[in-house]
Parts: sequence; structure tokens; C-alpha cells
Amino acid sequence: MADAIIEGIRERVAAAIRVNNSVGIQVPEARHEDLLEAVFSSMCKNTQDSWTFVSVSKTFDYLTKVFKEGAQFANIRFIDCISRAAGITDLYKNCIYIESPVMLEKLILEILHNFKGIKKDAEKYIVIDSLSALMIYNDPEIIREFISLLLNRSRSENIHVISILVEEEMDSNKIIQLNDKIIVLRDSFID
Amino acid sequence: MAIEKMGRDVFIDSNVEEKEGFIRTGIDKLDRLLEGGIPCGFTVVLLGSPGSSTEILVKQIAASGEVTYITTEETKDEILDTMRRFKWQIPNIDFVDISEKYYSNVLKGEQKRVSIYEQRSKMKLKELIEIGSTAIPSTVTSEEDFLAIVSNRTKEIGEKKTIIINSLDFFLSQYGQENVLKTVYAAKVNNLKNKGALLIVMTKGVHGELFERKMEGLADAVLELDVIQKGSSFERYLSVKKMRNYAKKIGIARYVIDDSGFVLEMIERIM
Amino acid sequence: MPIKKEVCSTGIDELDLKMDGGIPLGSTVLVTGCSGSGKTTLCMQFLFNGARKGERGVFFTITEPLFKLTKNLEGFAFYDKKLIESGMVNIIDLRIISERLGLDTEKYTVEDAGALLDILKDIADELDVKRLVMDSITALCYRLQTREMIRDFIFKLGTSLAVMNCTTLLTSEVPPRTFKFSQYEIEEFISDGILFLGDVERKGDLIRTLQVIKMRGCAHTRTKFALNISAQRGIELLPLLKTTEFESLLKR
Repeated sequence: MADAIIEGIRERVAAAIRVNNSVGIQVPEARHEDLLEAVFSSMCKNTQDSWTFVSVSKTFDYLTKVFKEGAQFANIRFIDCISRAAGITDLYKNCIYIESPVMLEKLILEILHNFKGIKKDAEKYIVIDSLSALMIYNDPEIIREFISLLLNRSRSENIHVISILVEEEMDSNKIIQLNDKIIVLRDSFID
Repeated sequence: MAIEKMGRDVFIDSNVEEKEGFIRTGIDKLDRLLEGGIPCGFTVVLLGSPGSSTEILVKQIAASGEVTYITTEETKDEILDTMRRFKWQIPNIDFVDISEKYYSNVLKGEQKRVSIYEQRSKMKLKELIEIGSTAIPSTVTSEEDFLAIVSNRTKEIGEKKTIIINSLDFFLSQYGQENVLKTVYAAKVNNLKNKGALLIVMTKGVHGELFERKMEGLADAVLELDVIQKGSSFERYLSVKKMRNYAKKIGIARYVIDDSGFVLEMIERIM
Repeated sequence: MPIKKEVCSTGIDELDLKMDGGIPLGSTVLVTGCSGSGKTTLCMQFLFNGARKGERGVFFTITEPLFKLTKNLEGFAFYDKKLIESGMVNIIDLRIISERLGLDTEKYTVEDAGALLDILKDIADELDVKRLVMDSITALCYRLQTREMIRDFIFKLGTSLAVMNCTTLLTSEVPPRTFKFSQYEIEEFISDGILFLGDVERKGDLIRTLQVIKMRGCAHTRTKFALNISAQRGIELLPLLKTTEFESLLKR
């Protein structure tokens, strides 16, 4: 049953991102983990694509424990925005650590750098988990500026952006409106 | 300020007994005047007017025992020559010869200065670039900090030793008054801890009244050497201007310099 | 038809873009910032990027010894040992040169300063450099005793290098969080341009910034960049997300 839900989410997200440059996914906290599982399964399945996963809500260490194999794939690169700020000094080779979630410019630079030298025909994706977590550390206005800069840059380089917003953490829904397509996941069903 | 003559004139006999808690100056009559010598731990400022022969008094005190002598005006050899001339015994003096260091630095600097262009013309540019791209600077070049030398030396000295700084004038010509005061204060604290005697010489009336006052305030004792014209002759006086905790030792004495050195003739007690 | 002006590209894309392709050729530019703000890295990047395009460069260090400088360079993608070995990038310890000249005093006389200036010019000429870095001018100014000497020194250095079409960066160290561009406040008036490396506070964290304060002979805006020092890629710039600064100003 759970697998079916996850598969359902995955297909839905995959379909949306195929035709749109940026997709915002609004998700209730209770479904957040399922969504991540769906995203990870997408990333693992499409090894010819290049992925950058930006984690603001969970440490990379945690992700490696939960999604064991997902954290090992060569086509997936991780950027961890919270370990350093939380005083965790883990050091994994396939993860880039940002000192603080307020260093948004550095985050953009690192994201864009991750796609340098990627084969032309590869599809490129960014996953941000989550915008709502970034908003805990930053003012909503600067996140707006951040996401619009990121979307503009990635659009020009043909990179798709999937950004996650956790419903309960949102204090403004304006940001998600910047996306080309919005998916709203409900607690009990997918609409 | 008029000194009221309410004291008594005293002729001093020689030979003062060694007294506990005092460091003798080695000049009997001066020790008598001070009733035993310099109290242990005291910082003494010796103010000298030009022509008062302060340098002779200082050397005579230095000849009296175990002394660390920080000299800025005369070199070690000059001091030893003078001591020999007066036939004083020359004890174990630990010289800190800043005078020698300073003059050789000045000299070296001057020599370099004239030869920059000469040196430049001798060097091949390519070699210079080569050296500059590979070597590590041989020395960390900085001018010697003479105040630091004073601080370090006064810190290292053992108990009940005498330190002479002759003179503060040099430091005041090289450093700001504030820095000099800080160093003097640190030396004073060290001396107090070591229960020694710290003798600081400076020329009277050249460093400003305020600085002189500060020094007098900082000192435990102030001795002043003066030359006063009386008719066609000059008379020299040593006055004890300040003596912390020993108010009755304040006094004035006439002195002359003869073949044996400093001779105090008469003491006039003020208190 | 507009004449295309000659520029010296820094090789830092965003910065070149902002200055219409690069620093106007032959300029003397002050790179100002507190210690650790990335001045030396920026200058090194400037030299190595130039060397890759065939422009020879020289780096005069006054504060850091050579081995430390090269050690710090290792790991940066722009660094290439071959460029040093082939003489395209020269790193010279100015203290050694001064020592050999007998200029090992703390304070320079007018004559000393003149001799030093001559040797700098001669070295630049001998190596035929198109890019020169002095790190730092603050340390040098410290040895020049008067404002007039500082003015004279920088002015003469700048003009003689400009004649050689050599673009010069002088690093200037200022205390953190100050709005001064140079220690002696003279350097900034004589230079043709100022790149200011500073920082802004954002939620308690400091974001490094770069700002083109002045650049004679080129249109530039004074917008701030966020500056990132990547251990591999060196200096990188991105337009600063401005909201914060405005907000923090309001809060004050």
C-alpha cells in the first residue's frame, strides 16, 4: 500500500518535471518522508540524469542512513546546508557542506558548479528540500529573491528545479507561486 | 618654597653599621644621611642638574657591590676607566650596555645608507630576482627595543640587588613618555618584589615639569643634585626631597668631588 | 564607431562583466579588505588567469613568506605550478630584495624609497610583466614616514607601470567592519580603482562581499556581489541578495 502511494507520487512528480522547468511541491509533514522516498527512487532509477539534492531539513548523514543506496549513486550530488550550522563536523566526500543556510549566494554557486562538465544530453535536476526550511533561517523576501535568481539561472542552463515546501512550516505561499507548476499533496490522497 | 631652617647641623662620622632592611650606597656619609642606606624595595629617582656630577655619584654607588648597571650614555669601558681613576674597587658589575648597542646600530644604519646605490649597481637584476623568488628572509628585521631590554633585565634580577639606570634621558629621547613610564613602573614593581634598590637617573628640568612630577610621584625616594652659585664659587648640594615612610630623613647636604670621589660635608635636617 | 578600449581581464567572470570586460589596461587598483577577506587569493587568481592568456605577472609579497604563499595556492584550480616554473608567474619576496639592497630599516628615507621604487620598476621591466601585484601596500606604507612619501611612491609606481601597460593591484589592509578603504587614506585617492572586499551581516552570519567602489575609465555600478572563496575554484561572485541589508538598515 505504502509503496503504491510512493510510486504514485513519483510518477506524478516525474510527469510534471518532464514538461516544466520548475515544480513546487507542497506537502504535509506527514507525507514529507514519502515524498523524499519517491524523489530518491526517481534519482536512483535515472542514472543517466544528473541530480543535485539540496538538504536543508535533514543532515546528509541522516539521509545516508535512511536512503542507503540513494546516497551512493555517482549521478547524485548532495549539498548539506544544516550540518555545519548545527555544529556537526561530518565529512563525506560526495557531499558539499554550506556553513549556514543563510549563505544563499554560496548555495547557488555550489549548485551551479555541480552541473559544470555534465554531458550535454543528460537531464539536469535540482531538488531543494525544503524551501520552507530555508525560510526558518531567512526572511521570506530574501528566499523569494533567492529562488527567482536560482530559477532564472537554471532555466538558462536547462536545469530543472524541484522545490519542496512543507505545509506546516510555510508562513507565506507566495514563493511557491514562482514555479511553473504546483503540485499539492494531501495527507490522505493525491489530488 | 622657602625651607625654614629649623633643623640642626650635623657633622657626620664615617662607618655606618650594616642595617637590616637597607641596601648601602657604599658612600658612608650618604648612608649616614639615609640612616642605613636605601630601604629595600625602594625606587629612587636621582635628579641631577647639569654640572652636578651625577654620573660620578652613580658610578661610586655602582662600585659598592653587586649591581646591574644599565648604561646609555657611556660605554662599559668608559665607566670602568673612570672607576679606576678614582681607585675604587671594581666589583662584579653586570653591565647592560645600551650605549654600545645604540651607537653601533646608528653607525651600521649610516653605512648602509650611503651604499644603497653602490650596492644596487653591483647586483645583477636577474640574480636578485632569482634570490627574491626562492629565499626566505634571513632575519626578521626590526630595530632593537631598548625599553624591552630594560623590562627584561629588571625582571631577571635576583633578590636584594641594586639596579642602576643611567639615564632615563636616553629612553625619553627614543620613546614616548607614556611608554617610558610604563617600563619604569614595571621595573618598580619587580624591584619591590625582589626587595632590591632601583636607582633611576634623569636630568632635571629638561623633560617637562609634569613628567618630573609623575616620576617623583612614582618614586619612593627622590634625591636631587643641585649646583648653586654663591658669590664667585659654586656650591653643590644633595637634597633628599622625598623618602616614603621616613619623613625625618628629608635633608640637604653640601658635597664636593675630590680624588676619592663624592664627599658629603654637612647635613642639614629639615624635619 | 566606438573604439574598443583595452582592458585587462581578471578572469573572474562576474567581475569582468561588471567592468565591461576587465580593469582598464595600465590601471593601479587598490584591493581593500580586512585580513582573511580574500585579497591575496583574488590577486593570485588575477595573475594566474593572465598568465594562461600569455600575460606575464609578478607578485611582490611583503607580509607572507614564499613557501606559505605557494602552500596556500595548492588546491586551487587556477594554480598551475608550471606557470611559475616557466616564469609566467613570478612570486618575489620583497623583503629579500630590500635586504640585499641594505634597506632593512624599519623606516625608509626618501632616498630609500627612491631606491626601492627603482628596483621595482627594473624588475617589472626585466621580466616584461603585464600584471603586477603588491601584497600589501599597507606594509610598505608603514615604512614610508610621511603622507607625502606614500603619495609620491604610489603615484610614481603607478605611472611608470602604466607606461609599460602593466596593470597593478595593490592590496590594502583595513580593520574589519570599517568604511575606510586604506590605512593611510591616501592610497585610495591615488589609485585608479578600488575593489572593496567586505562583509554584510545576515542573521548573525557574515556574508563576504565585493564591491567596485571606483574604476576610472569604465562605467561600473556600485552594486555589491556576494563573494565566495571556494577551496578549489578560488574567488566566485554572485549578485548579493540585497533584501537583508536593506532590512538590517531599517532595523537599526
